[in-house]
Amino acid sequence: MNDIEGLLRRLAPQVLGAIVRRYGHFDTAEDAVQEALLAAATQWPADGVPENPRGWLITVAGRRLTDLLRSEQARQRREDTVARWALTSPAPPAADTDDTLVLLFMCAHPALAPAAQIALTLRAVGGLSTAEIARAFLVPEPTMTRRISRAKQRIRSSGIPFGLPPPAERASRLASVLHVLYLIFNEGYASTSGPRLARTELSAEAIRLTRMVHRLLPADGEVAGLLALMLLTDARRPARVGPDGGLIPMAEQDRSRWDADRIAEGVALISGALPRGPAGPYQLQAAIAAVHDEAPTAEDTDWPQILALYELLLRISDNPVVALNHAVAVAMVHGPNAGLELLGQLESDDRIAADHRLHSVRAHLLEMSGNKSEARESYEMAAARTSSLPQQRYLHAKARGCQ
Amino acid sequence: MKYMIMLYGSQQDYDMLSGKPSEQRPWTAEEQAAMNEFMMKWNQDLVDSGEFVDAQGLTAPAHARRIQLQNGVPVVTDGPYPETQEVLAGYNIVECASFDRATEIAARLVKTPHPADTELAREWFVDVRPVAESGADLDA
Repeated sequence: MNDIEGLLRRLAPQVLGAIVRRYGHFDTAEDAVQEALLAAATQWPADGVPENPRGWLITVAGRRLTDLLRSEQARQRREDTVARWALTSPAPPAADTDDTLVLLFMCAHPALAPAAQIALTLRAVGGLSTAEIARAFLVPEPTMTRRISRAKQRIRSSGIPFGLPPPAERASRLASVLHVLYLIFNEGYASTSGPRLARTELSAEAIRLTRMVHRLLPADGEVAGLLALMLLTDARRPARVGPDGGLIPMAEQDRSRWDADRIAEGVALISGALPRGPAGPYQLQAAIAAVHDEAPTAEDTDWPQILALYELLLRISDNPVVALNHAVAVAMVHGPNAGLELLGQLESDDRIAADHRLHSVRAHLLEMSGNKSEARESYEMAAARTSSLPQQRYLHAKARGCQ
Repeated sequence: MKYMIMLYGSQQDYDMLSGKPSEQRPWTAEEQAAMNEFMMKWNQDLVDSGEFVDAQGLTAPAHARRIQLQNGVPVVTDGPYPETQEVLAGYNIVECASFDRATEIAARLVKTPHPADTELAREWFVDVRPVAESGADLDA
């Protein structure tokens, strides 16, 4: 990312926030800001960055908004349906909070589907173009354009005022903001499909946006926890993919390739957040990631500590993947049979029963317990249930090893 | 005594000043600068004489909102003005000795420079109105 691009991405939410706060019209303002960003991206490299880049963008976006509104209003008048909206309760005073936070709350509004929340957040807060978002999500640009404009219409018709949600709703709304950021990160990290570059950028973008939220809400433990979780997970990226593009399990990764700076930053964040109060799910997941990242070798992993953290996590989250990881931790502490017993309970959970990860974990635990023939069977079942070629290759190789 | 001097403009007048292509040719930068300089001097003279109270300009009419009652419910309309409608574009509040003095101040604006070959879509005017000093003034 060059300097101008970085500057524009940083300014994008501030400019949109200023325009929407001043003039309203979130949907049209968002288009106007995109056009101003585009104008800057083409003019600044040639003409130089103006003395007050934020002011420049606000002026240009404001002018563009006036134009867009006029043609909209003229069209509406022709159709004889002037835009009217019923007056709702006034937006709460936003005092000295950054408009960026208000935008994040708007984009993660529960009226929107997750896919729409993600796309809108990347565009309105991240300052990414529709084409960039479409490329990262591997959908055609017109599809993404429609998704974004539908999301904006939705926000307009719901009459959401420009302001922070009322205090009573703030915690649950912040949880949806964090969930959107988490999904963006995972889209970039967990997926094995697509051009790697674009996907990696999504993770980087999620980290950048979460950093921003952490700067705005430094006392919030879950925000710090999510940022720590992302950093501690992303730290393993360099060791995570083998030369064939296949995923390397954590136990087999070359830990010298883990990013020590990211680990140090993530550990510091989570160590600072945990003592501050009841730990939420992101903090617990970050704490687990920190225990893994701090072990010099896989054998040195502090499994009893990880097991204790998964037990806390299970109490506050009903997620079958958490339950699956918990079973692994149980097996590492109390032996493979204890883990296999827990897997038996998961088989009746429709959300994960058909998932290759369940079969893959069972295969590993069976192999640990010395039951090679059943392990081989489970590896093959897992291979049949994943669509990823590198994963299939890995699982078939494991199955062969159990002959 | 305080007086409000009110200036009017339509969306079309805003366009002419902002250099947007329309039926009238847009003002050049020099023409624009001449007008700005005139307005600034007009304002500065009021500051110097101690008669200046406040002055504000309003953004383009496209940004206006109108609130009306509809079946007893307040309803907001965005952009309520047609493009050619004259609306308040800005005002000056002066504090001076008399209505005549305020009128004289406002009348200086007839000399506002504008390009010879451009014309407003309507007759040019400014309004001057005395500001009410107390509730009693409003009964008069």
